[in-house]
Amino acid sequence: MTIDITLTVNGTARTVRVEPRRLLADVLRHDFALSGVHVGCAHGACGCCTVHVDGTPRLACLTFAVQCDGKAIHTVESLGGVDATHPLQQAFSIEHGLQCGYCTPGFLMTLAPFVDAMVAERRVPEDAEIREAMSGNICRCTGYHGIVAAVRRAVTEQIETGSAQP
Amino acid sequence: MTSADRRHQIGGADRPRHIGARVRRVEDRRLLSGAARYLDDIRQPGMLHLGFVRAQAAHARITDIDTSALADLGAEIRVFTGQDTSGLTIKAPAGHDPKSAALPDGHQGYWRMQDSEQPLLADGVVRFVGEPIAAVLAEDAYVAEDAAERIAVAYEALPVVATMAQAQDPSIPPIFAGWTSNVYIERQMAGGDLAAARAAAAHVIRRTYYNQRQAGVPMEGRGVVAAYDPADRVLTVWSSTQIPHLVRTYLAEELGFPESRLRVVAPEVGGGFGVKGQVFVEEVLVAWLALKTGRPVKWVEDRREHLVASIHARDHLHTLTAYVAADGRLLGLEADITVDVGAYSTFPFTAGGDPGMAAKVLPGPYDIPAYAATFRALATNKCPLGTYRGVARPSAVFSQERLMDDIAAEIGMDPIELRLRNVVRTFPYKNALGFSYDEGSYAQALERVRDLVAEDRAAARASRASATTRIGVGVACFIEQSSHGTPDFTRRRVPIETGYIAARVTMEPDGEVTVDIGLQNHGQGHETVMAQVAADALGVAPENVHVRQGDTLTTPYSVGTWGSRGGPLGGGAVHEAALKIAAKLKAIAAHLLQTDASRIALHGGRAVVIGNEGSYVEIRRLARIALRNVDQMPAGMEPGLEAQCSLDGPADGTYSNAVHAAVVEIDIATGKLRLRRFVVVEDCGTILNPLIVDGQVRGGVVQGIGSALLEHFIYDEDGQPLTTSFADYLMPLAPEIPNIEVHHIETPTPRTPLGAKGLGEGGAIGPPAAIANAVADALGVPVSATPLNANTLWTLAADIRAAAETDRDG
Repeated sequence: MTIDITLTVNGTARTVRVEPRRLLADVLRHDFALSGVHVGCAHGACGCCTVHVDGTPRLACLTFAVQCDGKAIHTVESLGGVDATHPLQQAFSIEHGLQCGYCTPGFLMTLAPFVDAMVAERRVPEDAEIREAMSGNICRCTGYHGIVAAVRRAVTEQIETGSAQP
Repeated sequence: MTSADRRHQIGGADRPRHIGARVRRVEDRRLLSGAARYLDDIRQPGMLHLGFVRAQAAHARITDIDTSALADLGAEIRVFTGQDTSGLTIKAPAGHDPKSAALPDGHQGYWRMQDSEQPLLADGVVRFVGEPIAAVLAEDAYVAEDAAERIAVAYEALPVVATMAQAQDPSIPPIFAGWTSNVYIERQMAGGDLAAARAAAAHVIRRTYYNQRQAGVPMEGRGVVAAYDPADRVLTVWSSTQIPHLVRTYLAEELGFPESRLRVVAPEVGGGFGVKGQVFVEEVLVAWLALKTGRPVKWVEDRREHLVASIHARDHLHTLTAYVAADGRLLGLEADITVDVGAYSTFPFTAGGDPGMAAKVLPGPYDIPAYAATFRALATNKCPLGTYRGVARPSAVFSQERLMDDIAAEIGMDPIELRLRNVVRTFPYKNALGFSYDEGSYAQALERVRDLVAEDRAAARASRASATTRIGVGVACFIEQSSHGTPDFTRRRVPIETGYIAARVTMEPDGEVTVDIGLQNHGQGHETVMAQVAADALGVAPENVHVRQGDTLTTPYSVGTWGSRGGPLGGGAVHEAALKIAAKLKAIAAHLLQTDASRIALHGGRAVVIGNEGSYVEIRRLARIALRNVDQMPAGMEPGLEAQCSLDGPADGTYSNAVHAAVVEIDIATGKLRLRRFVVVEDCGTILNPLIVDGQVRGGVVQGIGSALLEHFIYDEDGQPLTTSFADYLMPLAPEIPNIEVHHIETPTPRTPLGAKGLGEGGAIGPPAAIANAVADALGVPVSATPLNANTLWTLAADIRAAAETDRDG
C-alpha cells in the first residue's frame, strides 16, 4: 500500500508516493536527496536525524513521512545554504564544534532554535544551560566543548550586532 | 631544540607561516551545510540492498535455514549462505614459525598462535551473537529487512564460553576444531634482572585491575557498496573504512581479483576511532556479491548490528607486582595480562594485538630497571575484539597508574611525588625491553599539573570529614609510542606488516597544488593540516592546496589512518614531497633571476631573492614554465612538478607524553559522581594546528570519561548481549561533561620531519586511570575496576555511610 503525501521541504512543496511505514528520514534522504539528514541510531537516542517539522525540532527516524502530510519540513540544507553562512554554522567552524561531521546537522537543527530564543531574550546562557539544550544529541568526536563555545559565540555575536530576528 | 627553532628550520630560509597556526578547517563548509557525502549517500543504478540474518545463539550448530516464508513476500529475493561463500574468510594469523630463523629481537616475538578464520557467512557453526548466517538481496532496503526476518534458523546448542574463567577451564571444549585450549596465544617478554629487583625490594605490592568491554561506537556505522564495471573490468568498493588500501589488498588476495582493477573508496567517514580500522567479513561479502550477481550491492549497518557485530575493545585483566625500594624507587615490575578477545582474530592487528601492546607499553614513563610480562589472548563466544583509540594503552595506563597510587598509599608517599621520583628524566632513554624513548617532558608535565590542581587537592583533604560529599583528585602520567617503523611490526609477525604513509604533491600549470595522501579522514582535519604543511614548503597559501584522500585510484599506497600517525608521518611525507617541488621551483627561479638556487626563498606566492624582496618571480609563472613553457627551464631539466614521499617511522617510534588530572565529587548517599574539573597537560612535539590538537585531545578525553564511568558491553552467562541499543550502551552526553582544560608543552622530536609526535589517541588513554585515582582519593578505598557507575560508587562508599551511621548512633 502506498499513500500520496505533500511535504513542503525547505520551502518547496512536492507530492510523493510512499509506503506508510517509510520513515521521514528515509524519504528526505532518498526521495528528496537531502544528504544532510543523517541516521545515527534509528531508535531516537542520538539526535543525528533532527529536522524541523512546522518549526519544531523532531527526530526524523521516529517519524513516519505520512505523519507529515501537509507540513513544512526544514533540514540543515535550509540553514545557511551550501556556504554554511548561518551564524551558528560559522561559530561551529570557528570554535571547532565538529570533527567527523556526522552528528553536526542534528546538533545544528536542535540548537538553532535555542540560539534564536536566547538572542530574542538578549541573554547569553550559562554553559550548563547550553549543555542541557543539547542533551538529546550525541557527539562522539568533540567532547562537546567546541559546541558549547559555538553556541555561546553565536548568541553573543548576534546580540552584539543586533542582527537577530525574533 | 625549541619548537620555534624547529619551525624556523622547516623549509630552510622560508620561515613557516601556516604550520602552528590556528587555521580554521577547510572541511567544515561541506559538513556544516549537509553537502558531505557519507557511505549511505552512495547510489548506483540497479543497486540491490543487502540484509543479514545474524546468529541469535552465542555458540551453536546450525541445523536448518528455512527460507520457505519468503515465497509469499511478493518480491524477488536472493539468499546466500555459508555454502555459497565456502572457503572465503577473514584470516588474521600472527606469529613466528619456531622452525624458521631466530627472532631479530627476542623480547617481542610471538611464536605462532592458534589460528581462527571467520567465514563470510557462518560455516555450519556460529560463535557469537550477531555473526552473519545468511545474506539476503532485494531491490529495496526495507524489503531486504523483511526477508531477513522471515528466514528461520534452527540451532543445536554448543557449550558457551562466556567468561575469561570459562575460556581457561580445561573441562570446556575449545570453540574451534583442532585447538587444544581456548587460548589464541600466550607469550612472555622480559628485560633486566628481575631476581635482583626482588632481592632488593623493601616493598612488594601486588594488585589486580580490570577494564570492561566497550568500543568506539562512531555515530556513523559501517557500510559497503560495491559495483563491477564489465567495460573496464574494474570492481569499485565504497566502504566506511579508515584503511582503503589495506581493504583493497585483502579483497584482491581473498577474491583472486587483480589489485590493479580494484578501486576502494572511503567517502566521508562519520567517525572511526579504530573501529573502522579492520577488514570486515561484510566488506569481502559485498564485493563478492557484486561480482557474483553482476549488480551493484549496498549494505548499511544498523545500530544493533554495530553494537553486537562490528568490533569490541578493552576487556583487560592485569595482575601487576611492583618491587619497590624503601625510598619509593621502582626496582622491578611483573605483569600478567589476560584479554578476552572474543570469537575471531581480526585483520590486520590480530588476536594478539591488544595483550601484546599492553605488555609492551606497561613500563610507561618510569625508569624501571627490570620488567617481565606474560600475556595471553582468550577465545570466547563474544564479538571479536579490535582496535579502539589507544589500543590496550588505556588499560595498561589504568593498571600502571592505579598501581602507582596503591604503592604511594602503601608506603605513605604523595602520589605525585612518587611519580616524580620515578619518571625518566634523561633522554634518549632505553627501557628494560630495549625501546628507545625520544625526548619528552614527563617531570615538567607532572609539576605543571601539581600546580594546576593544588587548590583542588586542598579541597579534597578538607572534604574528608564530610559524611555527605567527598572530593577526590587523581592523576595519570603516561607516554604513547606512535609512528613506530616497520621493524616494530615485523618483530610481531602480524599481517599489518608495516606502517608507512605516502603523499604525492603536484603543482598544476596555474600554480595550484594537489596533495594526494594515503590517509583517510574521519574527523582529524587532514585536509586543513596537510594544506598548511604543503603551503609552508611551497610558499603558497593553504587555500591554494587541494588535499585528496580515501580513494585508492588517486592516492599512493599507504596503511591508512590509525595509530596517531597522520600528523607525524602523513605531515612528514607531505613536507618531504613538497620540498622536492620547492627545490625545482627554486632552480627555475634562480635560472630566470640569474642567481644561485640557495639564494631563493619561497613565500607569499613568490620566489624571492633572499635579501632583495624586490627581485622575484611569481610561483604561478614558475609552474607555468615547468609544465607548459618548458623552453624557459634550465637546460636539461625534466618538465613537470610532481613528487612523492613514502615515509616510514623511526624504528622505535616517537613518544608523546601527558599528565591528566581528574577532580571528582561523589555524593555518598547515592553514589552520583560529578566531574568538577578535567585537566590535561600534553606534549605531542611540534603542534601543527592548535585548533585541531585541542579538539583531538578533548574528544579523546570525553571518550575516556565514557570508558571510566559509563560504557559497558554486557553479556549474560549464555553469551547473549544485553546492551544492544543506545538506551543500554551509555555514552557521555553534554550535561555530565565539564569543559576540558588543555595545556601544552612542545618538545619537538628529531625523529620525524616536522618534529611532530602522535596525538590522536592520547586523550582517551588517561581518563580511566585519572578518574579511578580520584575516586580512590575521594572515598579512601582501593579501586580495581571500571566502569565506575553510580551503583559501583555507591557500593564503594559503603564504609563511609556505615561510619556516619555509627557516629550518629554513638
